[in-house]
Amino acid sequence: MTNFTTSTQLDETERAVDGATILTVNALRVTAGAAPGGRTLVSEVSFQLGRGETLGVVGESGSGKSLTAKAVVGLLPGGLRAQGSIDFAGHQLIDATHRTWRTLRGPRISLLLQDPFTMLNPLQTAGTHLAESLRRDKSLDRGARRAEIARRLGEVGLAPEVADQYPFQLSGGMRQRVALAAALARDPELLIADEPTTALDVTTQAEVLQLLKDIQRRRGMSLMLITHDLRVAFSICDRVQVMYAGLLMEQSPAAVLATDPGHPYSAGLLIADPPVTHYVAELTAIPGSVPHAEDVVDTCAFAARCSWVKPECTAAKPPLVSVGPSRTSACLRLDEIREELRSTLDRIDDPAPPPALPAADNAVVTVTELRKTFHTRRLVGKARHTMALDGVNLQIAHGESVGVVGETGSGKTTIARSLLGLVTPDSGQISLDGMDVSNYRRLSRLTRREARRFVQMVFQDPYTSLNPSLSIGTTLREVLSVRGDVTDPGEEVASLLGRVGLPASYAQRRPATLSGGERQRVAIARAIALRPRLLVCDEPVAALDVSAQAQVLELLRDIRRSDELSTLFITHDLSVVRQMTDRIIVLYHGQIVEAGDTATVLDNPQHTYTQRLLKAAPGVLSGADHAADPAWGEGEA
Amino acid sequence: MIAANVTAELGGRRGARRRIPVLPLLCGLVLLVVLVCVFGGTALAPDDPTAQNPLLSVSPPGGGHLLGTDQLGHDVFSLLLAGTFPSVVGPLAVALGCLGIGAALGMSGAYFGGVTDTIVNRFTDLVYALPALLIAIVVLGVVGGGYWLTAGVLLFLSLPYEIRLCRSAALVQVRLHYVDAARTIGISPARSLFRHVLPNIMPTVIATFLLDFVNALISFAALSYLGFGVQPSSPSWGRMLSQGQSLITQNPWLSIAPAVLIIITGASATLLGDWAYERLTAAGGTR
Repeated sequence: MTNFTTSTQLDETERAVDGATILTVNALRVTAGAAPGGRTLVSEVSFQLGRGETLGVVGESGSGKSLTAKAVVGLLPGGLRAQGSIDFAGHQLIDATHRTWRTLRGPRISLLLQDPFTMLNPLQTAGTHLAESLRRDKSLDRGARRAEIARRLGEVGLAPEVADQYPFQLSGGMRQRVALAAALARDPELLIADEPTTALDVTTQAEVLQLLKDIQRRRGMSLMLITHDLRVAFSICDRVQVMYAGLLMEQSPAAVLATDPGHPYSAGLLIADPPVTHYVAELTAIPGSVPHAEDVVDTCAFAARCSWVKPECTAAKPPLVSVGPSRTSACLRLDEIREELRSTLDRIDDPAPPPALPAADNAVVTVTELRKTFHTRRLVGKARHTMALDGVNLQIAHGESVGVVGETGSGKTTIARSLLGLVTPDSGQISLDGMDVSNYRRLSRLTRREARRFVQMVFQDPYTSLNPSLSIGTTLREVLSVRGDVTDPGEEVASLLGRVGLPASYAQRRPATLSGGERQRVAIARAIALRPRLLVCDEPVAALDVSAQAQVLELLRDIRRSDELSTLFITHDLSVVRQMTDRIIVLYHGQIVEAGDTATVLDNPQHTYTQRLLKAAPGVLSGADHAADPAWGEGEA
Repeated sequence: MIAANVTAELGGRRGARRRIPVLPLLCGLVLLVVLVCVFGGTALAPDDPTAQNPLLSVSPPGGGHLLGTDQLGHDVFSLLLAGTFPSVVGPLAVALGCLGIGAALGMSGAYFGGVTDTIVNRFTDLVYALPALLIAIVVLGVVGGGYWLTAGVLLFLSLPYEIRLCRSAALVQVRLHYVDAARTIGISPARSLFRHVLPNIMPTVIATFLLDFVNALISFAALSYLGFGVQPSSPSWGRMLSQGQSLITQNPWLSIAPAVLIIITGASATLLGDWAYERLTAAGGTR
């Protein structure tokens, strides 16, 4: 088989890293259900990992990257079966016995999971978590164990006192560090990290990535990093493999892949990711969505979305072949299109001048001295007060897009919710085109109706923003009935769906049958159905894959331009803010620390917090410079 | 109710959905037969349930009487069929009332929060604290009983369960973005509740409806056993049970048959409730 020959070719070059291969996966297949009618989720995946090497596994959701990782640690969900061969330092892992796993999982292979908020037991202290994971060594007395735990916490950049703290007392980043310390407790030779930073803030994300890289280097450990974000993979991996529909599309050294993609899909992923350094005239997304593995058994899996597709691509499944020093690709036409692929990258490398700022004199939204404190009462002890907004001033002109940037807890969402009347501010004034809507409850029925039409919102999580029991058409018709002036709702629904790039037949479908990107489009259609003048977008792409993200961002740009909508764009992602906004304000603990034109602020940040945010954006990450910065770890406690 | 939720969860873990649902089918069939008897019981009865036959006082089964006769010579089988109406309609009304009022109050508490939620919660706390059956006996004893008054008292006393369950199910939903979205669009609270929240808590509502019915069925039987609720002339299952008690040696069927009917009806409704909950949650597909 081609796979096999290429992997032996890889051997010679890759082993050079540290002289030995620790993990060899050959023709891995993951299936669900019984053999004849079962679905294939991952097929023909082969790769090797050397000692001390870092491998990034990248792909959109549904690409099979997480299943591959779970197969390697033997933790596939019930009902799924792995076939093929996974060889870890001489042990065959497929269908390995419990006894074998006990000697391997933990001591030699360890897994770090995605969500730091649910993976720690809320009733155990960080120290207990660590003690559980440490080698059960009878010779250590309590003092020595404590010292060992403190040392382990120190390795992940935490103070010894953290050992006595419970998960709820720790921030997301600190929890992820505790989880990392626990995963490393038995000094494994291979660490598999499944989206370890996805649930974290940009700044925290950068810290945790840097920490992972430092520890990996110091220990000479092998690392397999699963991520949907190419920039994350580039920042810490030696080698990257791109997966799509359960198949390997490309394997390349990270540095090479970044500038010279070996597969149209990799190129698509690269250009879908907006740059933080400059404005791009058009965000290019890969059209369509990821197919199921079993639907693309005898064709190139990517053919349906590829702009270079030729009849020979769909004739048979293209094999993964060697295309250069330690590179493989599953693209048949790579030799012909390589130059074109490289030049597509220029599309996002060429800075375009950002659109001219709209005149700032006709403000449609004016927010003055907005304050809001949240009170949480506890059963025992003092009530807690969280200052969400501390005197925020902001103006949005007609047709202008204002970005709000900041970490979790900086008060971004509270601004949005106050504008919509979902939160009533303690003091301050919100005026929408002359209407004072500081307190929605005090408004007359008529004014409230007018205010509701004036401002609409696109929510963060596409999975909860649509009512699961209503069809898309019903959801949209309901909004149209509120608007009141619609004569033919059926046609209007179709035209709304058309505007967000969905076929009219989607009106009959339920949210559960839609992908995240499609749901977000429906949510946008719902928001613009009332023809608002201000659209509030609260992290509208944070939960989406990079390709769906580009599609949704481009759609929002389009709508904004054609409807002359003013937008308030809330995000923690600076590259998104660069593409989507005219002006930005930077929020820190409920206060605006910096405001100005997007280009000016991002090119020349004045406030230290803005500088820190910028430095933390993946892709800008370079070297170990900020791991040494003491301010990093402490700010979150 | 707690027990019912636990069994529903256990069932979900077993993945019982795949199997052919023989049990729910059977339960549904039982409830259907009961429902037919509610409206056609008197017509279906082989003998006139009110016809007395002093010559056949307390006879065991036989001689045209499938389950024998009672003290006054009424045919027991006919009495049972005719007794379905007073035994089942009251509980059904209680459950329906609970469903309407309880779901409305529970959802309102969850949706509006604040003062509304506090009032709803304190009300449920208060009613929870009352010893239900004792209160019912005292109230009915003082006021003098009456069928629909019994239903009213039971309805009041079983409201908190429905309210609590609907409120907690609705609390999960009202925190989701689609409810916020409905609010920002300008949809009225009542419409938001009934159109957006209610369909998504339907599994809980339906399951608690059936459990409320079972509770009311048993309470009704208990009260009529004690002589409250049903008119002495009306042949409800609970009353027959108490009458048969003293005659158990002569015709045991007089007390066994209504007891079995109460158990079968109650068990069927509970099992069907569990199954429906499990089925609807699975079909709803949270994502």
